[in-house]
Amino acid sequence: MKYAFYPGCVAKGGCPELYSAAVKVAEKLDIELEEMTDVSCTGAGCMPTQLSDPINARTFAKAEQMGLPIMTICSTCQGVFSQANHRLQDPEYREEINREYLADEGLSYQGTTEVTHMLWVLFEDYGIEKLQSLIERPLNGLKVSPFYGCFIRRPGNIMVPTKEVGGRRTYLEDLTRILGAENVDISGKTKCCGFPILTANEEASLGMVSKHAGESKGNGADCMVTPCPLCHLNLDGNQPRAESQKGEKIDLPIIHLPQLVGLALGFDPDEMQLSRHIVSTKAVNDKIDMLT
Amino acid sequence: MEVTYKINRKDPENGGESGYATYQVDLPEDATVLDGLQKIRDEQDDSLAFRASCCQGTCGECAVRINYKAQFTCTTRIGDVTKKAPEVQLDPVRNISVIKDLVFDMDAFTWDKMAAVKPWMEPDEEFAPTENIVSEKDMADVRKTMSCYQCGLCDEGCAVLPVNFDFLGPGAMVKSYRFVMDPRESGAQMDARMKVVEQPQGLWDCVHCYEADGKCPRGLTPSTKIMEIRDVSFKEGIKNEKVGRHHASFINSVKQTGWLDERKLVMETEGLTNVAGLMKLLPTAVRAMRRGKMPGRHEKRPGADQIKRIIEKAEESK
Repeated sequence: MKYAFYPGCVAKGGCPELYSAAVKVAEKLDIELEEMTDVSCTGAGCMPTQLSDPINARTFAKAEQMGLPIMTICSTCQGVFSQANHRLQDPEYREEINREYLADEGLSYQGTTEVTHMLWVLFEDYGIEKLQSLIERPLNGLKVSPFYGCFIRRPGNIMVPTKEVGGRRTYLEDLTRILGAENVDISGKTKCCGFPILTANEEASLGMVSKHAGESKGNGADCMVTPCPLCHLNLDGNQPRAESQKGEKIDLPIIHLPQLVGLALGFDPDEMQLSRHIVSTKAVNDKIDMLT
Repeated sequence: MEVTYKINRKDPENGGESGYATYQVDLPEDATVLDGLQKIRDEQDDSLAFRASCCQGTCGECAVRINYKAQFTCTTRIGDVTKKAPEVQLDPVRNISVIKDLVFDMDAFTWDKMAAVKPWMEPDEEFAPTENIVSEKDMADVRKTMSCYQCGLCDEGCAVLPVNFDFLGPGAMVKSYRFVMDPRESGAQMDARMKVVEQPQGLWDCVHCYEADGKCPRGLTPSTKIMEIRDVSFKEGIKNEKVGRHHASFINSVKQTGWLDERKLVMETEGLTNVAGLMKLLPTAVRAMRRGKMPGRHEKRPGADQIKRIIEKAEESK
């Protein structure tokens, strides 16, 4: 099982712990990753589609040449890629992009590249039973709030096509359960984390951090798990500012998806670099220590 | 069939919430949720307040939450609801103050925000005040958005409104789309239009979470429309200064190196001469550095020259 690995800018920048956790987990699961190093940022919704579609078509064409599906570890990359790939299924539009932008480099995108997130890979390609059989440390007693955020869920017709794949709406809850942990539900688990409006309206953005993390903490969670490093940057990195804004301590660790899987596969919190989070993960580390 | 209605009764004017009231109603399976409400008001409790008008799903007046999902009572069949749940629970739509029971404040919810986006056209001078023919192609999408019911279901699902009620919301943005895309406003008028759309609490306060796309009963995909208005803003020049700096820095970073320089982005968004703004970032930067999260030296990617070539060509063709 092999993928063209697209880690995204944040895993190579502000969340290096996500990158190393994903690589270690993939290696342990015998999922081969060939990292794409000569491709661009997706645009992350900050570039107009007119600029981002051509550079994303280039990335898809490169993967097509490699003969591999792309695996992301970022919901934002995944969302932008999925939407771009959806538009590029229109042959006329694809040909225009090929002709105007890719031909100069001798590239051409035929529309066949599949783009998938690590969360989807575990269920749809790898097989969840196989993952279950490899668990060395069931996370018994760990209370986890699944937090999808928006881009891995919507637009629904592209991200969770119910006819083809039934379970994408509950993958995080299913995974948490399979890893042995306990689900702590929150009402906003598929809502936005606030990151996209950090620039335009910081107060509202931090308000979302307090709302989601505060509800999770109030419901008794030890931590939250998210498939998106941008959710992580806001919910973890800006949690201290959200606390000051609200005048209330929250203190909820935010765990990246591959880190949670890694802990259940037997990696130690240090190996998953939980020490690199802004909010102390002591509550999680202590529970993991008791399990080992 | 015997159906249990559990209705969230509120009467803020006369002493606040009174909680859920339960009613038993005998209804045929193909009756609508609205039929039941009317029967309750006629036969059991004439103080029950709800809104309805056309009774055929074309006016959007009767939006409520039926078992937590925002829908119209006049087009939702009792049989369909009771197939999934033992009772019919009705709550007012979210993100809005309630006047009484299921009746919410349309002034604050919709009309004030619609008024704030200048919902009328101010055509360019070249369009004389007579009949002006516009092409079918130019108007196809615009005309679709004219079928908006202004029912508020898109705002009901919005992720921003619960933390920031002043956000104009997807409903008002769909209204904006109708004018932004109309070819008769161009030049100075287009400039004025974009200033209105990009006002604080407007276009750039949306988190583009695509929640609203799934909520619109007319299939108008409000979130996608917002992103299309943003594409126009990129072409016309972003009017919100801070957002403009953010996007310029983002695009420049990808153009020069192939990927995002997060450290530079944060500083350039604040403005390199904005000392107070930069100082505000300091605690977060220190925390990140202590935890080894501060991005290292930003190296140019292999392939960056091709990426630059593509972006520059795409910029030229706008």
